[in-house]
Amino acid sequence: MAGTLEQLGRVPRTAVEFTNIVLTQGDAPIGTTPKDVVWTHRKTTLYRYRSSARRHAVPILLVFALINRPDIFDLRSGNSFVEFLLGEGYDVFLVDWGVPDDEDADMGLDSYVCDELHWAVRETLRAAEAEELTLLGWCIGGTLCAMYSALHPDSPVRNLVLLTTPVDTTGSLYQRWVGRPSFDADLVAEVLPSVPGGVIDWANKMMKPVTNYWTTYRQLWQGLLQGADRRDAYQAMAKWVADNPPFPARAYREWITWMYKDNRLVRGRLRLRGELVDLSKIDEALLVITAGADHIAPPPGTLPLLEMVGSEDVTHFDRPGGHIGLMAGSKARNAIWPDIARWLEERSG
Amino acid sequence: MGDDRSPSVEDQLRRLYEDAEAQTARAWEGVVQRDAFGELLARTTENVMALTRLSNDAFDLVVRNLRLAGRRDITKLAGQLARAEDKLEMVLQEVERLRDELAAERADRRATNGRRAGGQAATRAKS
Repeated sequence: MAGTLEQLGRVPRTAVEFTNIVLTQGDAPIGTTPKDVVWTHRKTTLYRYRSSARRHAVPILLVFALINRPDIFDLRSGNSFVEFLLGEGYDVFLVDWGVPDDEDADMGLDSYVCDELHWAVRETLRAAEAEELTLLGWCIGGTLCAMYSALHPDSPVRNLVLLTTPVDTTGSLYQRWVGRPSFDADLVAEVLPSVPGGVIDWANKMMKPVTNYWTTYRQLWQGLLQGADRRDAYQAMAKWVADNPPFPARAYREWITWMYKDNRLVRGRLRLRGELVDLSKIDEALLVITAGADHIAPPPGTLPLLEMVGSEDVTHFDRPGGHIGLMAGSKARNAIWPDIARWLEERSG
Repeated sequence: MGDDRSPSVEDQLRRLYEDAEAQTARAWEGVVQRDAFGELLARTTENVMALTRLSNDAFDLVVRNLRLAGRRDITKLAGQLARAEDKLEMVLQEVERLRDELAAERADRRATNGRRAGGQAATRAKS
């Protein structure tokens, strides 16, 4: 009884703290590791992180999805994958797709793979004065990297790392929603030159509506009531989740139609600028990472890649965790980053 | 060796609530996975898009008739700028490629001249 009364006494303070955390999440500092702009084209920017301890000859180019900002690679000090890689002695570059607007409606998947990513690879090599690099893609960023590697078997990509990457969409919930004939992706792309990020975010959250719209807040409340300090971790993640750039219309239409309606990538029917994207032409050292509880890119949608590529050096890590939590959650530093670093170290000499 | 302490009323209530929440979450996940939800989503999207198009077109018509630049005009202009930037990027890459080629050629020539000068010096020294 005394405990209950004590907890009731904490409610007003918790309510104020909870409200403050939710209302000021936009002020949370994320993506703060110092970096320099190396190259820009339209909305794309290539960054290089500052480091004085580069030990490995092969730089790493980080590529994120088109539907969220790449700050997730550098979420917050003490919980940043970029910071970790710099500490391991890597020369780290990041390609940021920026925030597309209506004038970018003509940007298709080919623009991202054949132009932006191709040029970012080129600029990375020039800036690092390197002959080869490691391409590390996450989510759609991983799919773009896989397409790039498949189109450029002679490219300077030495290692390819794909994190929770959708490749085969058969049976996925997204396919059930947007893959059906009645979902008119052409109409969406025709009406909206850039599909608002909020719409995509809403769809992502609707996959687990109670968890995303209620449990997250309830857990924050409960943690605060029990005296846990969750401000930094919660705000950083919440700010990142809420920051959704628009999806350029053509890229959206192609992504939905080619990946979810036609499943062209694994069927070997996807062409970019007339060139067939043949996954068997991927011959770099390949590391594929899947997350057991990933509902956005579930492991069965990634695993076919392991059989399809032409690489002789293929490694697969499957870890418990969600689509984002696996790499950016509080356990990532011990659960997966050291494994990635070990894999890279053996191949970055 | 069992735990003698029985859970408090508060713990029991919390567990009851968390169970209910987990069941609700599973139920909702079941709902969104149904074909009917997918169909509803598809139809709603189509309706919203159709309405958006109608309202956008009507608004743009009003703005253009007021001799003001509408969204479409600004997008068109920004698109032209983007294409100009594309071309500029191509030119820049070509310039960089030529510069690298020239630098490599110069380095080659310097190396050849150096070897030739070294050879001549050796011949002079022998004679």
